[in-house]
Order: sequence, then C-alpha cells, then structure tokens
Amino acid sequence: MVLAGGQGERLHPLTKDRAKPAVPFGGIYRLIDFTLSNCLNSGIRKINVLTQYKSYSLARHLRMGWSVFNSELNEFLEVIPPQQRYTERWYQGTADAIFQNIYSLELERPRLVLILSGDHIYKMDYRELIRAHRDKEAGLTVACVEAPVNDARRLGVAQVDNDSRITGFQEKPLNPQPMPGDPEHCLASMGVYLFDCGVLVQRVIEDMKTDSDHDFGKNIIPRMIETDRVYAWNFKDENRKTVKYWRDIGTLDSYYDANMDLVQIDPLFNLYDEGWPVRTYQHQRPPAKTAFEEPGTGRTGNVFNSIMSSGCIVSGATVRRSILSPSVFVHSYATIEDSILMENVEVHRHARIRRAIIDKQVAIPEEEEIGYNSDIDRKRFTVTESGLVVIPKGMSLRNTP
Amino acid sequence: MGDTYFKGDDATVKTVLVVEDHKHERILYERELTAEGYRVILAENGREALQKTQEERPDAVVLDINMPQMDGLEALGRILEAHHKTPVIINTAYSSYKGSFMSWAADAYVIKSSDLTELKDRLREALSRGETEGV
Repeated sequence: MVLAGGQGERLHPLTKDRAKPAVPFGGIYRLIDFTLSNCLNSGIRKINVLTQYKSYSLARHLRMGWSVFNSELNEFLEVIPPQQRYTERWYQGTADAIFQNIYSLELERPRLVLILSGDHIYKMDYRELIRAHRDKEAGLTVACVEAPVNDARRLGVAQVDNDSRITGFQEKPLNPQPMPGDPEHCLASMGVYLFDCGVLVQRVIEDMKTDSDHDFGKNIIPRMIETDRVYAWNFKDENRKTVKYWRDIGTLDSYYDANMDLVQIDPLFNLYDEGWPVRTYQHQRPPAKTAFEEPGTGRTGNVFNSIMSSGCIVSGATVRRSILSPSVFVHSYATIEDSILMENVEVHRHARIRRAIIDKQVAIPEEEEIGYNSDIDRKRFTVTESGLVVIPKGMSLRNTP
Repeated sequence: MGDTYFKGDDATVKTVLVVEDHKHERILYERELTAEGYRVILAENGREALQKTQEERPDAVVLDINMPQMDGLEALGRILEAHHKTPVIINTAYSSYKGSFMSWAADAYVIKSSDLTELKDRLREALSRGETEGV
C-alpha cells in the first residue's frame, strides 16, 4: 500500500498542480518512481497506490510508466482515489487511508501488508525486511535508519532492546532520545511498515474508535508497543555507499540538495547501478545535443558537471552543475548554473540563471536574470530561506520575441 | 410502545437502535429488549439506521447485515466514521460475514437465534464498557 495522498504544502509551488509523489526529480524521474522501483526490484508486484489531492498527473505517470504488471499472473498496480465508502471526508491520516481501503485488502487477503510512502528516496530490498519480520515472528516491523538528533525532530524515533524489539516510539519528538552509546544519533523510522494483515486491520479499526489523528507514527505504533510484537529492522541500503541514503523530501531546499547531489562527480545516490534499476516513464525524444563551438565569441555549447535528459539542446550557451529535464532548450550566450530546469523550459539568449528551480513550460526571456538580485526575485517568485528561486509551472514572464 | 413510555428522557435508560429488515423480528427484538429495560428504536435498513443514529444518538446499535438499500457492513463503517464510540453488535443469521474485515469493527458478532440470551448478554457488556470508558 503506497501512500501517495500527501499535499506536500512545503514543496509549493512544485505541488501547485501535482501531488508530492509526482514531483519531478533527477531530470527524468518522479518521486514515486524510487519506491515503486524498490517494489519491482524486491519482487513485489501487488501494489495499491492510494491517491488523494491533485492526483491527475500522478495517475497519468503511473499509467504511462508503470503499466508493467500482468494481471494474468495476479500482478497489479492499482491507483485508488478515495472511495468514500464510509465517509464523505478525505483521509484524516495515514491509518485512516488504510481503514478506508480495507476492502481492497479483503479482496486480496495477503498475509503481510507493506505500507510505504510515495515520496521518499532510497533503495531497499523489502525481501530483507520481510525475512526479518518472519524471523522475529513480529506483528509489525518498522524499517529504521540512524539519523542525526537534529533531523529526528521531524521523524519518528524508536527505542529498542537488545533483540531489536521496539520499547518506545515518539513521532516528531521535541527532544529525540539518542541511541545508547551514540548521543549524536537517533534510530529514526523511515515510514516503511510491514504488518501482518490481520494485525493491521485490527489495529486500524481500533484506532478509528478513538479520538486520534489516525496516524501510524503518532497513534498506532506507540499503542502497539504494549499489545503486539513490534520490531525495528535496521535499514540495509542497496545503494551500497559508506553512508546510508534515505531522503524524505520535506522542503524546497532539501529537494534542491537531493537533486544537486546527482551532479556531483561521485553522487551519494547512485542512479547507474544496473543491479538496481530505477524505472520511470520516458517519452520518445531525440538525443540530447550541444551546438556551436566559436571560441572568442562566447557562443559555444558547453555543459559541465550536469545532467542532460533526452531532447535537450544547449545551443551556444553554458550550463554548469545543473539538471536539465527532457526537451529543455537553452539559446546562445545564456548561462545556467546550479539550477534545475524541468521539461520544456526554454531559456532565451543572454539570459542568466543561478540557483533556481524552474518548473515545466516556462520561457525565460532574453537577457533575463534570475538568482542574481534577491529583492527583484522575491517580488516575482518564491524564494527560499537559502535564497533559492522557484518559478512555478507555466508561469509567463515578459513577452519573448 | 417503549418509545412513548420512556418519553421524558430518563438518563439511566439506555437507548438501543435495532436495525432489522424483517418486520416480525423487529417486533420480537423490540418486545424483548424493552422488557430488559431499554428504550428501543427501530430501523429497517442501513440507510435508516444512519439517520436514526444521527438523530437519536442511541447508546448501542444491534445491526443485521443482509438488508435492502444499505447493508449492515456498510452502515457499520459509516457509523464508525461518524459515531465511533457507539457500540455496535452485529446480529445476523450468517457466520460467513466474520470473514469480512469490516465486521471486525463490531463490538460483538451474534448469530441469530430464537433464544436472545446471547444478544442480551453482549448488549449488556457493550453498554457497560461504554460506561466505564465514560462515553
């Protein structure tokens, strides 16, 4: 069960027209691709994606890119909008989203139910989690990762005994309890929960009978510690770097940082591991190209330390440390640095762009400057705390020739 | 009718909503539960049950499953959403609905019988649970 209903308000304006799991990432991907690729790479082929707000572009992406499951083999990926079987309200919380969909579990009657978020970036072989769950004969197993104490304030924090059984759990604690022997780190929940199906249904129904936020982290897990065998599973990272990689993209700045990691010489997150392919939808487009080589005039198509997706043309312009989504067109004498340009962005001549996220279908006029004067930028665009400029999808700037 | 008899809203008298599509069974439950000291209100299907639950705020609901218009399982989900502290006792001729996840939301599952002892026992338990939890 992939929870894909979050509004993603803190990612506004990227979530102005789309659900958070549908936010583009790394040039060609959407956030949900990473969780779904984990499923595919773990042999999980019975997937319900629970959508809610602004689900159109998410549903379209899943239809175009993820129609790879064969119903003749009992595989499926269902996109389930709120059914309103029992209420006219939308989901009140993560547990309510499951409660409202217990009918889909009833039809399938699985032994185990994996609950995932559609907007996290990590590589996990869920089979390892399932193995641990079975070994411990757990009712619930929570995937956990070590996180700095400061970050843990916005996460769920677990305390465990020597056998990895969870003895305490707080959601977004003000004073996160560090791990024994490591005052700098907490054991943080990754929002990945593996339940025995019967236990899940029972606990979710019980929770519906209480006044609560109907949230797994806040309500269900803390209560289950008293009644069930709840275990932590230490995240085994299939990314295989020295530091474990897991990102819950919460803010525009963290979204930007996670993207920019990908243009490092040796990124933390490896997209190039053929043993762990990340699937997405890609339109058929011509190859990326650069044009012009005129030393002396400045009219040379140069791309340094960047990601260039298919269909891009960098014509007599310079691009540094940036991510170009498909079909971005950069015209002569323009300069783009430390930026993310989404599909069909067109940058006209002599424009200069620095530290900006430009959503789809925006035309940057000739000689426009973005990211160079924060007072001017603030009047027109969203500017984050760190000074990052964000231009929403389809925004008209000045008339372009 | 118990309805008229208990008008005046005696706080100690518990109101029980019986949802049952068969008329003769409704009469039976009304008589038997009134004799137990409850104020009994009736509904003929799930839709009416929701309406009565909303209007009369019963202390407990006795709910059949196989009914026209809206069945008991759907009504149960909706009662749980809107009045989650109201205990619900499923009262059905079939045991097979125990396999439905939504039936797990009921406080008790009683198989219909001409002897109402079990229904009365489960009802008493559910109502006393409600009291100790301060509903």
